[in-house]
Amino acid sequence: MAAPALVAGRTVDTDVHQALPDLRPFLSRQWRDRWLEVGLGTGTGYTNPRGVQRRDARPPNGGPAASDPLFVISDHLDRYQIDYAILTGPFVLPVGADPDYLTAVASAVNDATVEGWLGVSDRFRGSILINSDDPPAAAQEIRRLGGRPDMVQVLMASTTRQPCGQRPYRPIYEAAAEQGLAIALHPGAEGAGLAGPPTPVGWPSRYLEWHNILPLTAMAQLNSLVCEGVFVSFPTLRVVIVEGGLSWLPQLLWRMDKNYKALRDTAPWLTQLPSDYIKEHVRLTTQPVEEPDRPEYLVQTLTMMDAARTVMFSSDYPHWDNDNPRLLFRRLEPQLRARIMGDTAAELYGLQQPPRPEDLPSFSTAPADVVIGLSEAQE
Amino acid sequence: MTAHRVAALADVPADGGLLVTVNRLEIGLYRVGEQIKAWRNVCPHMAAPVCRGVVTGTRLPSEVYHYELGLDGQVLQCPWHGWEFDLLTGCHLAAGSAARLRGFPVEVRDGEVFVHTRT
Repeated sequence: MAAPALVAGRTVDTDVHQALPDLRPFLSRQWRDRWLEVGLGTGTGYTNPRGVQRRDARPPNGGPAASDPLFVISDHLDRYQIDYAILTGPFVLPVGADPDYLTAVASAVNDATVEGWLGVSDRFRGSILINSDDPPAAAQEIRRLGGRPDMVQVLMASTTRQPCGQRPYRPIYEAAAEQGLAIALHPGAEGAGLAGPPTPVGWPSRYLEWHNILPLTAMAQLNSLVCEGVFVSFPTLRVVIVEGGLSWLPQLLWRMDKNYKALRDTAPWLTQLPSDYIKEHVRLTTQPVEEPDRPEYLVQTLTMMDAARTVMFSSDYPHWDNDNPRLLFRRLEPQLRARIMGDTAAELYGLQQPPRPEDLPSFSTAPADVVIGLSEAQE
Repeated sequence: MTAHRVAALADVPADGGLLVTVNRLEIGLYRVGEQIKAWRNVCPHMAAPVCRGVVTGTRLPSEVYHYELGLDGQVLQCPWHGWEFDLLTGCHLAAGSAARLRGFPVEVRDGEVFVHTRT
């Protein structure tokens, strides 16, 4: 299939983590104290000894990295000529015991994003964080905010209590499809809270191993979404696999197609090859991009996965493992690079037009307001 | 090579480094033992501002399940991906990696630090 034509030449960063250090104003009183005392209350036990936030990305006001939207514009969007940033929040929600608390935290994150970020600049687009472990409540949250044009997707942890293509999660996809929103699966909660172990063989010993194997979750969920017929039931639904890497996809496409050809009658609702569903409905973000010894290997991998349709640039700013957009994909032919750096995302999120011209003040250098501890992202 | 006076020796801290600019080139100055070393503020991996990372020690290569701390004050840790560089040699401390920091000759004269660059 020929690569789609160059669309708009936008650069869209599909994974930027805004910090929301103080959720107190967005939590009702019955949850506020708990948030201050325990935050999410559950870690994975896997911690990066260097910390997850980049030290050099802290704003001059002394607040946490990516806590000042004006500094993010200057330090990241302007520096790398990025038109739009898709905000993916300070964390995703782990599988937990108290669905009402987690749903309240999700709403607080969303309201804080609307108030503190989406109103600041047209270059930001938001993700509606949900507690996917309570699908009816998650669907309600999607419908509460889905009408906002600046909210462009639903964000949930890659880790779920059971494979996310299965029946209990249908209300989430129904609401997202109805609202015209993509579903983004983001890692970070693998093994956290009440989730199963982060690998099928149990618990790795250290963060290095945990992080190496995060793509397992993405593979398992993609497999489930396709085989359970989610894209048959919701033909307009799009799923974004964030921060799961890329190079595993060709293998999965080939294996799914091979098995489908032999065993299609066990999922008779599928009317296309699994790889066709994935190429139509699924997008993968680039960071942390693989760095093979020979750069041409990555180019070959991108060809295998029809990257002009399936791959979208992401930086993961301001996290430790972020990619530098200036150095990415320099060996690709320009049209494919343009698809990856923004055109595919512009189509998905409706960002073909350039951002509105803005006359924004400079970022602040005055000391930040009281900074409240937060549950830090894990990945 | 051109010598540039970049700092007073006393301004290079015992812990951490001092970031200076020579012809728009950002260079980090570090004390390593009795020496002053000068490294370009660009990580060879992802072009991050490596000199804004912490100076620390590390766990040395060891037997399986043994841990041995060493190189205290001699390891620069990139603020992005955490790549560790030996401040004495500029070498990336990871087996199989040929990455290294770009360094500049340093001269200390009468309490002043000079860095030599091509321009």
